[in-house]
Amino acid sequence: MNISTRSIVVAGVLIAISAVLALTGLGYFPVPNVTASATIMQVPPIIGGVLEGPLVGAVVGLVFALDSFIKFASVVTTSPAYANNPTMGWVAAFIIIFLPRLLIGPAAWWVYKSLRGGNEIAALGAAGVAGSLTNTVLVVGLAILLQVFTFEIVAVVIPQAVFEAILAAVVTIAVVAAWKRIETGRGGSSV
Amino acid sequence: MSEFEYLRNVTVGQYIPTESIVHRLDPRTKLLAALFVALAATSTRSVLATLLLVALLMGVTRLARIEVRYVLRGLLPAAPFIVVLMLMQLLFQGRFSVCETVYWEWGFVRITPCLIELVILGALRLVIFLFLVSLLTLTTTASHIMHGIETLLAPLQRIGLPVHEFALANIIALRFIPTIAEEMERIAKAQASRGGDFGGEPWWRPDRMARARLPLIVPLFVNTLRRAEELIVAMEARCYLGRKGRTKFVDLHFTGLDWVVIALSILLWVVLWRTPWPTFT
Repeated sequence: MNISTRSIVVAGVLIAISAVLALTGLGYFPVPNVTASATIMQVPPIIGGVLEGPLVGAVVGLVFALDSFIKFASVVTTSPAYANNPTMGWVAAFIIIFLPRLLIGPAAWWVYKSLRGGNEIAALGAAGVAGSLTNTVLVVGLAILLQVFTFEIVAVVIPQAVFEAILAAVVTIAVVAAWKRIETGRGGSSV
Repeated sequence: MSEFEYLRNVTVGQYIPTESIVHRLDPRTKLLAALFVALAATSTRSVLATLLLVALLMGVTRLARIEVRYVLRGLLPAAPFIVVLMLMQLLFQGRFSVCETVYWEWGFVRITPCLIELVILGALRLVIFLFLVSLLTLTTTASHIMHGIETLLAPLQRIGLPVHEFALANIIALRFIPTIAEEMERIAKAQASRGGDFGGEPWWRPDRMARARLPLIVPLFVNTLRRAEELIVAMEARCYLGRKGRTKFVDLHFTGLDWVVIALSILLWVVLWRTPWPTFT
């Protein structure tokens, strides 16, 4: 597998941004429901996927997965379906938490690649929404499938999913549009 | 001004050279020990056992001649999140609880011993994971961690996985974490001096929080990508070609102490996993 220096470095800095967002708490917004927080932690994998492809997107998503695993694994393992079978609980937690996060970047990359022939800004927005929804739909879907939550959770999560998707689209457009302009030498401001 | 101090609270990614016995251990030993302690923390449902693990990690921190307070400071930014998560678990998870004893019940809120145990365990595990990551980076240089990860994952290279590239990306990340936290402070101060408002939003208004954080997060991404561009040019100018034909300056080798530490951490995992520790139920 041939991976460019650019991909390695971009993956590295996006992992660092994910880690800082997780460690400073700036990547999460407290919301009063069972998930306890809305997040923008899906943004670094989305930007990784859009800029450098599915592999970088997936690797950056690992940090989000790891952070979520530390914070939320106990919610899965202590749910009634796994209360008497902790080993299966950990397996379920691993599937529910890791799989969706690994697919955020590839989903964003695929949508961006399919749409960028038209309006670039619309493609970036769609990639942001797709990445964010991949995360929400898969986490909630897998949690229902593996009997951690009941179907009622969907109603609770919909407003949060919309909020996260809009936020991801806004940040993806703002960052990638600004970055591509810098890359082509058409200027850009520095703080 | 404390709301701008992101760097002070990010203990991960900073190396403190105190030349202690923990510093002298092989990076692979520290990585494996961290893995087994993490497994130990997740394999027990006992609050007592988990508290013992926290005490053990505090002991190791002292052994590494690092202030426990310094590591705990890294928890501060996550504290509001942990509190909200604990509160939400208390409110919403009770009805799923399998405990027969109920301390208090009102509507869908049901406080049981199992629920209290779950909430305390969740918070303690978070403290343990933070301790592990902080201890690893505070006592090991970035290049040693990279060589450790690369050597441990080397077997996966045979099935075509890009282990060297993965290790390098992680080491770049570790190197960049303090820089990015510093950058974030600078951006926050720059935006505040232009009239930006940080930290004044009520916690129940995530939309306002998001709007306040956007002027911080977007420049952070763009500035960091600019730094990445400089690093790419620097690496390519020095003819970095990936793992092909690459030699190592760092030569890792296990000592007797390393084997003892690995054996003890495996033993700790097995003891915590197999011992019938007292639980709330």
